[in-house]
Amino acid sequence: MSDHHAQAKSSGCGGLCGGKCGSTIQDGVIKNNPIIHQVLGVCSALAVTSKLENALVMGAALVFVTAMSNAFVSLLRHLMPRRIRMIVEVAIIATFVIIFDQFLKAFYWDMSKQLGPYVGLIITNCIVMGRAEAFATQNPPLLSIVDGAANGIGYMIILALIAVFRELLGAGTLLGYTALSTAWYEPNVLLMLAPGAFFTAGFLIWIINALRGRKDV
Amino acid sequence: MNPTSPMVILVASILTNNILLAGFLGMCSFLACSTKIETAVGLGTAVTFVMVCTTTLNYLLYHYVLVPLELEFLAFILFIAVIAGFVQLVEMVMERFSPKLYHALGIFLPLITVNCAILGAALFMVIRNYNGIQSAAFGLGGGLGFLLAIVLMAGLREKMGYSNVPAPLRGTAVLMLITGVIAMTFMGFAGMITMQ
Amino acid sequence: MKNAVQTLIFAAVLGMASSTLLVTASLFTAPYQKANQKAEEIRNYLAALDAPVPENASAADLIAIFDRTIRQVERNGLECFEYRPDGADAPQAVAVAFAGPGVWGPIEGVMALEPDMETIRGIRFFKQEETPGLGSEISADFFLNRFKAKQIISSDGTPGFRVRKPGEAKGSNEVDGITAATMTSDRVGKMLDTLAKRIRED
Repeated sequence: MSDHHAQAKSSGCGGLCGGKCGSTIQDGVIKNNPIIHQVLGVCSALAVTSKLENALVMGAALVFVTAMSNAFVSLLRHLMPRRIRMIVEVAIIATFVIIFDQFLKAFYWDMSKQLGPYVGLIITNCIVMGRAEAFATQNPPLLSIVDGAANGIGYMIILALIAVFRELLGAGTLLGYTALSTAWYEPNVLLMLAPGAFFTAGFLIWIINALRGRKDV
Repeated sequence: MNPTSPMVILVASILTNNILLAGFLGMCSFLACSTKIETAVGLGTAVTFVMVCTTTLNYLLYHYVLVPLELEFLAFILFIAVIAGFVQLVEMVMERFSPKLYHALGIFLPLITVNCAILGAALFMVIRNYNGIQSAAFGLGGGLGFLLAIVLMAGLREKMGYSNVPAPLRGTAVLMLITGVIAMTFMGFAGMITMQ
Repeated sequence: MKNAVQTLIFAAVLGMASSTLLVTASLFTAPYQKANQKAEEIRNYLAALDAPVPENASAADLIAIFDRTIRQVERNGLECFEYRPDGADAPQAVAVAFAGPGVWGPIEGVMALEPDMETIRGIRFFKQEETPGLGSEISADFFLNRFKAKQIISSDGTPGFRVRKPGEAKGSNEVDGITAATMTSDRVGKMLDTLAKRIRED
């Protein structure tokens, strides 16, 4: 859907995006999923995974920030003086993180409270910076937006997977609704605690590696 | 204002509220630089030093510049700029005056700018309403907590060099599981001290 | 030289652009944020006092209800919030805030009493960082409801309050704690005991 949309848009904009959208999306969401493969950005990822809702909002923040900062870095890529490139990228990213944070504080106060410092920590998230540096400085704006959004979605999927596991088994609920009745299910509280996040992430990466039949290293 | 005594904040942020094991901050460098104890000690020390200084500095700038000007929303940019600037400055001073120290710690300094634990400490300081002394104590405790966690991990990884880990578990997966066990151990300190 | 000038101009323009963006965003969201901040504690006070609040009430609505029905008074050195619903002359309930150490961080809350200053009308914990799934259940309805209609004096008339081991609460001033959250339950018990004594002895 978004593939089609972006392509249609790109042809209107003089082929800024070309035919690479599909592969860009696939790369970001599946093939090079940022958390699994580059093990980037795990830090802020885990803290918000005790509830599915928090993980989804965090994922949305990542999609927004990565897409927007990619767009602007890409627009400025020919103008940007090389020496201050990194600082410019950080400034652009920080601007969008602040906008998202302000928006949360104004309209989703409780969510903003629960996410605490972790929205601000998107600034140091290696995925955002990594995409700006590796992709947006080399590619046209529309394609960069698609790349940023795709990477953000890839991140969101992993966060959601971890959060589903933790919330379902740790509290017996999903998105706050009771999924496993306490009548017959005793929630495993360890999963709600910090070690539970580490274990879940470890097992998830293990399973994915095994499914992909990894033999190297 | 938060009434907790600085001493309690210091101990709590090392043990019960460890910035890495309970707050998930600084995971990237924790995973990347914990292969050898020597490297781990170097990075941990550098993080501790930078964290104490930048948390205090950020406290002063936030409460005496941003708050009076009602520009609190610029906090993220201010913190990241202070951290980057401070790290750069320390690197230059160190290279000029103490080449020996520079060789021991200097290589870690560029890594620290993007270490989320440093920025995280500044953000927590604001959220928890710490005063100046509490902020410094929190910075010190956070840094020492990171040092403790990364050195423990490095020690385990040095031993693990001889063990036969199943192929799909190698790398990040097994490190996550180990971190989980360490985090569980640290939870045993819960209730030993109380944050008031 | 030319490069340096270019760099400076670029930095200046970018700085201007992003600060314009930020100031716009902040001006637009500031009133909502302020209201949210103020409404947060108010929401808990109203809930503890069992004051009727329309569903989906906005932050501004809550502040309006609070300002209209609640008056802050000092009784024997204790900050009390008297609740007078529209039309009532005498206070229908009185809320008192309390605070104390929890397991992971400070716990803050508010307790509302009936006008007799003995019977608990409601209780809320509005700030706590207790263990998720265990201690943090103190904010869950099932625990909060245990306090309703309990007393802050025991049957022989001495002021005090206790949170007992689950299943052991017998007296009129005792409630069951939370299973497996002994440390949080104990601390909440101590906090409320202190509060009860302060209310009754002052």
